[in-house]
Amino acid sequence: MFRKYVVLLRMKYVEMFAYRLATIVWMTGAMVQPLITMMVWMNIDPHQENAFIFYFAALIFVERMTSAWDVWEMEREIREGTYSYQIVRPFHPIHWAIAENIVYKALFFVILVPVWSILAIFVPALRLGQISGTQWLLFFCALLLGAVIRFLFSYMFGLLGFWITKVTAVYGMFEAVSLFLSGRIAPLSLLPPSVKTLSLYLPFRYMVGFPIEILNGDIRGLDIVFGFGWAVAWSLIFMLAVMLLWKAGLRKNQAVGG
Amino acid sequence: MGNLLSSLFGIGMAILTIKVFFYQTDHLGGWGYADVLLLLGIFNVLQGLIDFALRPNMSRLLQHIRTGTFDHILTKPVDSMFYVSFRHLVFWRLIDVLLGIGLMIYALIEKHYMPSVLDAAMFIVSIGAALVLIYALWMMLMTTSFWVIRIDDLSFVFNSFFETTRFPISMYRSWLRIVLTYVLPAAFITSTPALSLLGKWNGMTTIASIILAGLFLWLSRRFWRYALRSYTSA
Repeated sequence: MFRKYVVLLRMKYVEMFAYRLATIVWMTGAMVQPLITMMVWMNIDPHQENAFIFYFAALIFVERMTSAWDVWEMEREIREGTYSYQIVRPFHPIHWAIAENIVYKALFFVILVPVWSILAIFVPALRLGQISGTQWLLFFCALLLGAVIRFLFSYMFGLLGFWITKVTAVYGMFEAVSLFLSGRIAPLSLLPPSVKTLSLYLPFRYMVGFPIEILNGDIRGLDIVFGFGWAVAWSLIFMLAVMLLWKAGLRKNQAVGG
Repeated sequence: MGNLLSSLFGIGMAILTIKVFFYQTDHLGGWGYADVLLLLGIFNVLQGLIDFALRPNMSRLLQHIRTGTFDHILTKPVDSMFYVSFRHLVFWRLIDVLLGIGLMIYALIEKHYMPSVLDAAMFIVSIGAALVLIYALWMMLMTTSFWVIRIDDLSFVFNSFFETTRFPISMYRSWLRIVLTYVLPAAFITSTPALSLLGKWNGMTTIASIILAGLFLWLSRRFWRYALRSYTSA
């Protein structure tokens, strides 16, 4: 199993390398919206400037590390008919998606960490000295969970593409709502109370906002436990959904193609 | 029907975003809530026009260049640059334009402000300049597809820039404001027309927007001709 993964990872690495310019452009482009939002908040409350700089820099990092584009890939493959080749392979197609995710996220990590370190020299707001070891550990656990949840959510919609033709449009709507509930338009503490409460129970906060809250020190103790509880719950829910949809999708495909 | 819903959803989310910001403040870069809504309305109109006429042609141009059918276009008697940019139109995107206009009207009502004839005239001039600027910038981006073949959709780059026009230019800090006024003229695309309609127009600024629009259009044509030369000589 492990050796198969190594092969997959190497394949995906070569693929990514061929598209390195597109990847860099895409990654840089994804930073624009958080940066503009940051500037809006710095305008609204200039006293909190440093807090906002840290929050949105962390947001860019976490968002890239959890980002999932599988729904678009799968929609294209299903539309073009190439997905049926994937199903016939002995190795479940989800592993290909996971390998691709690992490769790209490793790239983002390798680029973003040095950039952050260099920026931290000039921008005191980005200094990380005050974060405890426990916080780091919890942060990375939450980050990993966030990546898992977001990936499964995206893959789930990708599988729904067997039944819904414009599934990326539906996914797009969820992404738009997620902007509010995951803390990408505003730190969750600045949202109206009803939205804040809603975000605690929905998966979106655990995709992006929750790891940042841990890193920020905004939540501690029981709240963190509560957060992890929900994050794990949502991962299990989506995992189950993916498994069920996969079985249903296979049956549907076999019924059509034979 | 689905298109109408998706446009409504889009503008709804954009308005909600503004509401989230105004939950914590009264003004953004000196602009009030209704002012920012007006700006958003203009943004929506412009975005609708881009999606209606410019965006559909970007991927097609790339395809033409890749598959070699571009030579066929060059033989046509029509100017190649305009032919390529307006060939395919996506009509349902005009819904975004209508929704944008609706939002603009709502914002003006909220503000209890009725633009005078002079306001409207300055608005028309500045929005015209804005359209020319958008077209020129978009064309320059499309022209790069002659060399950059690995990127499937360069419109993503334009989107990232265009996002900056969502907010009043006064919100941006010093050096960024300068860049967004003279290098990538985001200021003249949404902020100047909005200010005109609100009666806060400035003669010098409006003239500057016309000059800048002309300059960028000239630059984009030069760039296009340069690209054609190196393409046909290859």
